[in-house]
Amino acid sequence: MNAKHLSPGSLNERRKQAVRLRLDGHTVLKVTQQTGLSAPTVSAAWKAFREGGWAAVPVKTRGRLKGQANVLDASFQEVLWQVLNQAPPDDAPAWSSAGLADWLKENHNLELTQRAIEHWWESEGLKHEPWPLVRFAKQRSQQGRWYRQSVEPLFSKTKEATQRWQVGVRRIAHPSRSVYQFYLHGVRGRLLMRCFERPPVAADYVSLFKALSRQGPGVVVFHGALLEVSPEVKQWLAEQPAFWLVPVPRNLAITA
Amino acid sequence: MTSLTHLQRLEAESIQIMREVVAETENPVMLYSVGKDSAVMLHLARKAFAPAPPPFPLLHVDTRWKFRAMYEFRDHMAEDIGMDLLVHINPEGIEKDINPFTHGSAIHTDVMKTEGLKQALDKYGFDAAFGGARRDEEKSRAKERIFSFRTAQHRWDPKNQRPELWKLYNTRKHAKESIRVFPISNWTELDIWQYIYLQNIPIVPLYYSAERPVVERDGALIMVDDERMPLEPGEVPMMRKVRFRTLGCYPLTGAIESEADTLPAIIQEMLLTKTSERQGRVIDNDSAASMEKKKQEGYF
Repeated sequence: MNAKHLSPGSLNERRKQAVRLRLDGHTVLKVTQQTGLSAPTVSAAWKAFREGGWAAVPVKTRGRLKGQANVLDASFQEVLWQVLNQAPPDDAPAWSSAGLADWLKENHNLELTQRAIEHWWESEGLKHEPWPLVRFAKQRSQQGRWYRQSVEPLFSKTKEATQRWQVGVRRIAHPSRSVYQFYLHGVRGRLLMRCFERPPVAADYVSLFKALSRQGPGVVVFHGALLEVSPEVKQWLAEQPAFWLVPVPRNLAITA
Repeated sequence: MTSLTHLQRLEAESIQIMREVVAETENPVMLYSVGKDSAVMLHLARKAFAPAPPPFPLLHVDTRWKFRAMYEFRDHMAEDIGMDLLVHINPEGIEKDINPFTHGSAIHTDVMKTEGLKQALDKYGFDAAFGGARRDEEKSRAKERIFSFRTAQHRWDPKNQRPELWKLYNTRKHAKESIRVFPISNWTELDIWQYIYLQNIPIVPLYYSAERPVVERDGALIMVDDERMPLEPGEVPMMRKVRFRTLGCYPLTGAIESEADTLPAIIQEMLLTKTSERQGRVIDNDSAASMEKKKQEGYF
């Protein structure tokens, strides 16, 4: 079985088969016999799997990847990080790209477009897509059941709640920084954020919710922290007549 | 002649060790800690003596601080396999309410694990105990022989070990001596995962990545498994995708951030890792050579 003139598709299939056989404990020699690939190819596929998982096993496509274009200057980036770690001005709950651009211009005399900031968010892993909650309404899935049982009744019960937020907290796997992020999406899905260098504490959650409640009666679908064990957050929420919080159940996949 | 894969060779070696122990000792027991190594060891034991069940009971030395998922899994397994499961908790530990938070990890481990194990072995008169320790976990485990002899007080003398040349095991015991036997000592963490994958061995779900509530303590991610876990003022547990490489008492076991929620993904992660799984155990960092000291005192 000669694998010298295989199409990329069948070569990739054989590379995957070679990895499966190696996972089953077969020697390189045995794998070469079964797949028709050469020993260096089997070893290369195995090495690629070890370093990058199944996604790395197929042969690579050519060309520059998306997002590999120009990057912001290091000093610019440092300023951006500093600002994101501060509380936003004017009682805003978090930073929007427009708010950040204005602040940088006014306070640091830095000209940066919203688009450039959003690109930078993406490159630093800060970008977050809103959850497709409305799409869950008609789905016969775990997400659909949760939406119909927990979110929809609250939305219909609280017609006066003009503000509907998706809020979450997460740790970003950043190569050089410790980054914890509050991410927020309003009705239109626009992203707002606030970052921390340490895990947020109860006071951070309370001040975020206070800022959101100042914008009017609201419902927050929340993911990322076990707020029910924090007495401070529980107490604050209990005192609010027009602010409702719906926690996303653990391990419910709600990503877009 | 067909050649065996390295896993088949390891399997054959472990089965031979188990049969040797059953043939040479009077009252053996298998220590069952509910982790992945115990799961593999139990699977090997069932293979070694099939179709009969293994001719020894399982012993779980409980500390009352294991993960809830571990207790559920233990009870489910005991029901499933039809072997006797003995559970021992040090009564003095219960009386004094020994716990990792107020007493610290060293005292908790000593009282609830080391003393608890010694009590259980004495109580039932076991003269050989299978343990799932592996050489690649920790340096003192690396130098321990497969047949590790213990004095009447369960002490281990690392400078007085028997040679095991050509895999020949000297099982002769002095009066009141006992043996700790490590049938999977020569396996690596990766071997364990490949074997679990190939043999479809059930394991505690905590080994798979999932969203779990964790807090950061001294660089370790500690899961908030029940309401007994005291939180710092203002601390809020975050939901993070984590899994455990090793399982012990939940306040003393660090999780790792991981996306590996299937066995092939875990195996891939193992191929890349450069640290020992025991780095997640707080008790191993108590002091230099802490494991060796604990082992000398009777820890397994």
